[in-house]
Amino acid sequence: MKWSNIKLIFFRELRDQLRDRRTMFTIAVLPILLYPLMGMAFFQISQFMHEHESTIRIVGLDNLPSSPELMEGEHFHPDICNLAQARLLILEIQEGESPSGDKDLQTEAEQDINAGVVDAVVVFPPNFGQQLDKFREQFKDRTSNPESESESESDAVEIPQPQVFFNTASDKSRIALERLDVVLHRWRDSMVRENLARSNIPLKATRPFSMEDRDVSHEETRRAAIWSKFLPFILVIWALTGAFYPAVDVCAGEKERGTLETLLSSPATRTEIVYGKWLTVMTFSMATAILNLVSMGATGTFIMKSMESMAGMGGNMGTPPLVSMGWLLLCLPLISGLFSALSLAVAAFARSSKEGQYYLMPLLFVTLPLIMLPMLPAAELDFGTSLIPVAGMTLLMRALMESQFQAALLHTIPVLVVTCVCCYLAIRWAVAQFESESVMFPETERWDISSWLLHLRRDRGETPTVGEAILCGVLILVIKFFGGSVIKAVADSVFTDHANWNYFAFSTIVIQIGIIALPAVIMAIILTRNPRKSLMLTMPKWSYLPAAVLLALFLHPAFMYLGQGIVHLYPFDAAAEAAFDPIEKLLSNTPLLYLLFVVALMPAICEELAFRGFIMSGLRHSGHKWFAIVISSFLFGITHGVLQQSISAGILGIVVGYLAVQTGSLIPTMLFHFTHNATSMVMSRLNTTIVGEYQPLGWLFTALGKEGGVIYHWHVAVIGATLAAGLLYWLRKQPYEQYDEEILQEALDKATTHTSVPTLV
Amino acid sequence: MIQVRNLTKSYSDIKQGNIVAVNNLSFDAFEGQVYGLLGPNGAGKTTALRVLSTVLRPDSGTATINGHDVVTQPTLARYQIGFVSANTAIYDRMTAWELVEYFGQLYGLKDEKLKERMEFIFSRLKMNDIRDVLGVKMSTGMKQKTSIARALVHDPPVLVFDEATSGLDVLVSRTLLTIVSQLREQGKCIVFSTHIMREVERLCDRIAIMYRGNMLDEGSLDELYNRHDQTDLEEMFFTLISRHEQKTRLAKAN
Repeated sequence: MKWSNIKLIFFRELRDQLRDRRTMFTIAVLPILLYPLMGMAFFQISQFMHEHESTIRIVGLDNLPSSPELMEGEHFHPDICNLAQARLLILEIQEGESPSGDKDLQTEAEQDINAGVVDAVVVFPPNFGQQLDKFREQFKDRTSNPESESESESDAVEIPQPQVFFNTASDKSRIALERLDVVLHRWRDSMVRENLARSNIPLKATRPFSMEDRDVSHEETRRAAIWSKFLPFILVIWALTGAFYPAVDVCAGEKERGTLETLLSSPATRTEIVYGKWLTVMTFSMATAILNLVSMGATGTFIMKSMESMAGMGGNMGTPPLVSMGWLLLCLPLISGLFSALSLAVAAFARSSKEGQYYLMPLLFVTLPLIMLPMLPAAELDFGTSLIPVAGMTLLMRALMESQFQAALLHTIPVLVVTCVCCYLAIRWAVAQFESESVMFPETERWDISSWLLHLRRDRGETPTVGEAILCGVLILVIKFFGGSVIKAVADSVFTDHANWNYFAFSTIVIQIGIIALPAVIMAIILTRNPRKSLMLTMPKWSYLPAAVLLALFLHPAFMYLGQGIVHLYPFDAAAEAAFDPIEKLLSNTPLLYLLFVVALMPAICEELAFRGFIMSGLRHSGHKWFAIVISSFLFGITHGVLQQSISAGILGIVVGYLAVQTGSLIPTMLFHFTHNATSMVMSRLNTTIVGEYQPLGWLFTALGKEGGVIYHWHVAVIGATLAAGLLYWLRKQPYEQYDEEILQEALDKATTHTSVPTLV
Repeated sequence: MIQVRNLTKSYSDIKQGNIVAVNNLSFDAFEGQVYGLLGPNGAGKTTALRVLSTVLRPDSGTATINGHDVVTQPTLARYQIGFVSANTAIYDRMTAWELVEYFGQLYGLKDEKLKERMEFIFSRLKMNDIRDVLGVKMSTGMKQKTSIARALVHDPPVLVFDEATSGLDVLVSRTLLTIVSQLREQGKCIVFSTHIMREVERLCDRIAIMYRGNMLDEGSLDELYNRHDQTDLEEMFFTLISRHEQKTRLAKAN
């Protein structure tokens, strides 16, 4: 890779983008104008919201107690409702008694509130005042004759309760309720004060002490803590948006203008081109994020100060501290780098700028959950969250802004490693796009469904294509998502008892066969010329069969520890544990043979047919066997649904995938899968008593937890992993059947590109 | 200079299935020679030239440019070639001078040497008046001249013109053909693809007639006339095509 070429491409692209009015408008002009305009709009709207009056109907004024007074004329009494509050409350007094029937009253109130005639209705029922006065009379009696007091007597007076009707679906009605609540609470408080006075009890008796709050935070940290809740989020969103549009221009735009072909025929390699373009996109992503941040910070500060001076609100925020902004700027290159590489790879697919715009939405959909995750109140930076791309970086920014330096320092390395690895993988993906002829020179004819269906059948290859493999994976996930509930509903109707083995076995078998294996088998039959090869149903060398079983046994202890580690990192919540409990009980009471059939044999056949069979066969046409192994393992992992299981299964899938590539058959992988699951099932039946009784088991297992569970000795895991590494090394040395694309890619990788560049005159 | 042997390239078409764009193409082109690829649209000329310029990889066969294999030594091959395509692709937001300078730098030319070379090309192609004109404001003729300057900046021994005159007016076409003639005189090896008979007659030393990916015949104009007993290129072209169609029909019938 020649850095001089990367630099050249970077500066050219940079100059090109700076001369583009649309880019400059989006990146520079828009953020500078957008936030002040939004601020102005906010003021307009908030003023409008504040000035809006609430209409409240009061029914049954004649039923009020004699004291304290709720009303003065046609308004609330000034003692409980000041002038400013009274101005926002328009009272509509309904003369006479309240309707006797509760049902009529509710219907009338409902109708009027829904029709917008009034925003809330308060009804004082008949005898309300009378009963209340009677109740309060007792306090007088107590004062004159304390001996006569009795709890039961005061409780015996039944006071009919006033009712307030409102509509939570209407903002106006909810605001009216809040305003009314304030007034009515004050009225009740003054009644309590009077009661206390009548009983000769000092007011202090109701509040013998009060807490004095002492905030130990400094003003700057307080401000930083508030800003840290949303500035990292804004930064990440704008870093993504700022990356996408330049990425579309430098990829799809260049394709559209025809200049990409010229560049591809120049001495710059695809990798150099991608790095040059990536640096450009990254620069614009950072610039967009910074400008938005500065503009938003300035506007936000101005708004908060204005609100503070106007109504004494928003005084806590102030300006974002400079140190906080510094932390954000420090983290920005990494996040921008990641988004730029992703945008570049996605934009490379597009034939034109217009088509490129459509790809923003899927990219947003994929990244948005990662961006939103740190916004959850419970989300905090720990080792588990630091390993989540984007979310980890956002949480690190938050921790740095909030001066939680210990947590930040502890998790900086995992966050950096994860972000850099993701960034590198995204760049490799972009380079792969630039190396793909079908991406760089796509077909230009109009796509139509009938031609496409005909093409699928007529031009089917011996094994599936990359696209068909990914489609199969996505199809399995979608069918599992929707079909899972259908299967559950069917099982619910057939089996009444959910903690029943038949219920569990039926659901598992139907999911394995109907949702996982069937789509892959059907697609292999319809879309390929050689379904047997597509599903890798070939007989391998005999030596691979015991090797697969041994590999599963050797790796099992290490995977048990891995599972423990994952659960430690991402613990199950109480609800998940409660959901697993009955299943665990059920499995422990089921005959082992049944269990092996449903939980070990069925997944070993069905999941292998789909993930290592159809999906990996197709993905290998990309020319990169590791790409095929990792993506098929990823899909295999997420099919497991529960995060902790998904991670564990995804890692296991990599070993099984490698086994499939090296042996060229699904039979060893099925054996591996069965042995792994079967060993886990057998192990779940072991406990400290059994292990204690049979000494050889004691060499392998030790006690785990307080409930008699067991786990492998750590040295067993280490020995097993070492033996497994030896077996994998042996497998690596075995010849295996390569796909044509893999042979070509290997030849290209080996080709010397920069050995001796001629000197030009 | 250019050696192409049994070059085959196919691609998948959603409507027509697998299409063999170039089928078993072989030819040699030497320095001081213009080698013409003559054929209608869809003949496989552009695909073949894209393989030569290393942007596409062949399915089988080999192609070398000045001894460098386009598949195993693509970067070295790129230094030997200057590629001018039909769509006069230049950057809208770059001036002619900036664009040529950019590609010169990508080819490893630096400072004074690059400036000297650019001054020479700009005056040779009479481009000094459009030095500072942005791509977006150029006429088609200006764009094509800039493309040629870009292809010549590193002084490659091999030049590939892919339908370079399509869409140009008569005057610009004539200028371009004159430039190609001058480059031949300088000893360059030129591959010139076109579907215009007159250009081939006027310019090419050797011709390959292509149709639907196949090379129907190859040789100098006189050799071809003698071999097919014809005196008119257009007549000979249609005779070759109809013979090929006939052969294909017979092969299908059998």
